[in-house]
Amino acid sequence: MTPIILRRLGTSVLILLAVSILVFVATLLLPGDPAQAILGQQATPERLAALREQMNLNDPAWQRYLSWLGGLVTGDFGVSAASGGPVTDLLGERIGASLVLLAAAGLISIPVGLLVGTYSALRQGRTGDHVVTGTSLVLAALPEFVIGIALITLFSTTVFAILPSVTMAPPGEPVWNYPLQLVLPTMTLVLMVTPYIARMMRATMMEVLDSGYVEMARLKGVPERQVILRHALPHALSPVAQVIAIQLAWMAGGVVVVEFLFRYPGIGQALVDAVTNRDVQVVQVLSILIAAVYIVVNLLADVVGILTNPKLRTGGAR
Amino acid sequence: MGLVIGLGGLLSACGASQTSVIAAPTGPPQPGGRLRVGLAGGGAADSLDAHSSVSTTDIARVVNLYESLVYRDENYELKPLLATKVTPSPDALVWTVDLRPDVLFHDGRPVTGKDVAASFKRIINPDDPKSGAAALAILDDVVIIDDHRVEFRLNSPNAAFDDALGQYTLGIVPADYDPANPVGTGPFKYKSFAPGRNSVFVRNEHYWRDNEPYLDELEILNFSDEDALINALLSTQVDAIGQIPLALLEVIDADPRISILQSETGAWMPFTMRVDRPPFDDNRVREAFRLVVDRQQMIEQVLSGNGSLGNDMYSPFDPGYPSHLPQRVQDIARAKELLADAGYPDGLTVELVTAPIQSGAVEAAQVFAQQAAAAGITVKIRQVDVTTFFGDSYLQWDFAQDFYYTRNYLPQVNASTLPTSPFNETHWDHPEFTALVKKATGTVDPQERNALIAQAMEIEYNEGGYIIWGHANQADAYQQYVAGLVPNRTGLALSGFEFRRVWLGGNAS
Repeated sequence: MTPIILRRLGTSVLILLAVSILVFVATLLLPGDPAQAILGQQATPERLAALREQMNLNDPAWQRYLSWLGGLVTGDFGVSAASGGPVTDLLGERIGASLVLLAAAGLISIPVGLLVGTYSALRQGRTGDHVVTGTSLVLAALPEFVIGIALITLFSTTVFAILPSVTMAPPGEPVWNYPLQLVLPTMTLVLMVTPYIARMMRATMMEVLDSGYVEMARLKGVPERQVILRHALPHALSPVAQVIAIQLAWMAGGVVVVEFLFRYPGIGQALVDAVTNRDVQVVQVLSILIAAVYIVVNLLADVVGILTNPKLRTGGAR
Repeated sequence: MGLVIGLGGLLSACGASQTSVIAAPTGPPQPGGRLRVGLAGGGAADSLDAHSSVSTTDIARVVNLYESLVYRDENYELKPLLATKVTPSPDALVWTVDLRPDVLFHDGRPVTGKDVAASFKRIINPDDPKSGAAALAILDDVVIIDDHRVEFRLNSPNAAFDDALGQYTLGIVPADYDPANPVGTGPFKYKSFAPGRNSVFVRNEHYWRDNEPYLDELEILNFSDEDALINALLSTQVDAIGQIPLALLEVIDADPRISILQSETGAWMPFTMRVDRPPFDDNRVREAFRLVVDRQQMIEQVLSGNGSLGNDMYSPFDPGYPSHLPQRVQDIARAKELLADAGYPDGLTVELVTAPIQSGAVEAAQVFAQQAAAAGITVKIRQVDVTTFFGDSYLQWDFAQDFYYTRNYLPQVNASTLPTSPFNETHWDHPEFTALVKKATGTVDPQERNALIAQAMEIEYNEGGYIIWGHANQADAYQQYVAGLVPNRTGLALSGFEFRRVWLGGNAS
């Protein structure tokens, strides 16, 4: 089992390197440079020249890439072109804020999704199942901003004015000091992600419930509760873990819209800002970070898969 | 967006708002409280530097931290600020500025001629020119006469130099100014600042105007998204927001807790035709393009009716503006005739480069394309992102758009319509026009000068490269309990960001 994981880790590092080159080239392909992006309409040739000099934009691209990569290895993420300060200062707080949001959404949507999916599978074809399937279909079809705006309209601006619609925590203060401000963005993410988990759980659970060993257990007289918890559930979890992983990874990249809508001070906002400002250093760090999240959660999903699948547990078998 | 409005309207129809309406305050201003202002734009590149603001949020901060020698008030009149008097020499080459004697910086030190001279040297520093430098190309030297008097020496006569001094980008800072410690003379002083997020300012107890400012604290918050901005206002998380999309004005106005501040401005968002390249090097083509525009329809569709008609001339508040010239109206038949004369009897195809450079820009391009089709003009719209628009090809497009806030005529010409102007998108180079402008610039007598300006404007009206279809109103929104905001013609949001006059009524503070 360890060699598989080690091999996967090696591949992951190569993928990250490829991502970093891709992102760097992509940001270079965008028309305009950070100096132009920052000055906008006010970009006179004299001001552009002065700003480019200040931002070291006159160095060749490969040199800037290599010095950035070198810094990354030694834990120095470089200097943001837009703010002039270290990227770590700019992002530290934001990464924390996004992680809080993701963790809260994950902690709610994973158990809820598993429960609802199982419930639905057990009620197959009955009203409860139809309600769950219908609702999750509708939610899965709605873009996140529609869900977000509906929640804002319902809970903070028009119908009930009980929850804040935007995050206004003062900089330097952790977002969780204002728990009410976390409610709506978390709810939006939960409503986005839960339907997928529930639907996947329902499908695999139904498959497992139809399988021979569940039938055998039932015939042997094992109590239904135990059949589900001890025999069915573990077998259903492995494929669902993949879906959960993809959903978590999607959240890491897809919080952009949610953070935008709720003025949430996370990495999504920083990323959009950095792309607009052609702030290569920040775009790089964030892309690598999001790619790393994808890789890590997928790795975890594989580990769950290996642990729940005896054939893979022995290592050699493929 | 349509969905958003629909949803909001639907829900407000079934449930009335839970929050009670606080009546608009009356009587004398009450001191105290914190005003929270939400503005769209800005980001990690935000700065508190007095002289290099680029985004709207930067401008809002700069206006409250620093003050220039003179400024444009809400009626777009030039008023003294840190200067008491600005007087030109008869040849308009030397301008003497008397400073208000009682002004202190935030740290308690008095403002002297030395600080004024140092501020201007910092702005025009050739190694690192700041935002205001381009307009000060005529400035040779600032000479300190005594503690409260300086002389501006120009390299060419300029009778409108006082106008050039009235820019928010020319705030006076101490001689030892360091943007890391943003000291100015403004009504508020620095407390905290997080680029792209928010900044908090506190009342300047040394402020030279009696009683003002009324607020204890001012917080300016960035929003990257307009929806979030409006939601923050509707959920009373901010007290005032600047520049709301004109299309949403009615919806927001329907909320009894919210007031709308509408200001007529001289802002303009022209279509720019390069007069040195075909097909626009032929004035008949330019005139035809101007004649295909239904200006009223443009204002209705792009600005939801909130704007005033444009007549292909900018600076409508300039005292020299020739309002006697007939309003240009749509005339498709004449446009076709002109195009046929110019060698396009079967119409022509042009590419129009557009970007969301200002609210309504892309919409204006689309409406123009529709209107132009009637005269056989096929407009291919090429939409790019803002950074691309202002990138390497900016000022090179054959047919594109641009936008400017309110300016008087001569400063605007300096910025955009002389062969030497930094932003001459139309590549306008008209010897007769240039001579008139030069003469007007050197003419101290206002009446004579205005007559020259009117002549110059008429040349642009007949032959220029701009299509100026309208001047958009500035619309802001605020909670009813906010008092002291008045319409402002400068085009800057929320009373030109002059929060020194704002106070909070009722139990809001």
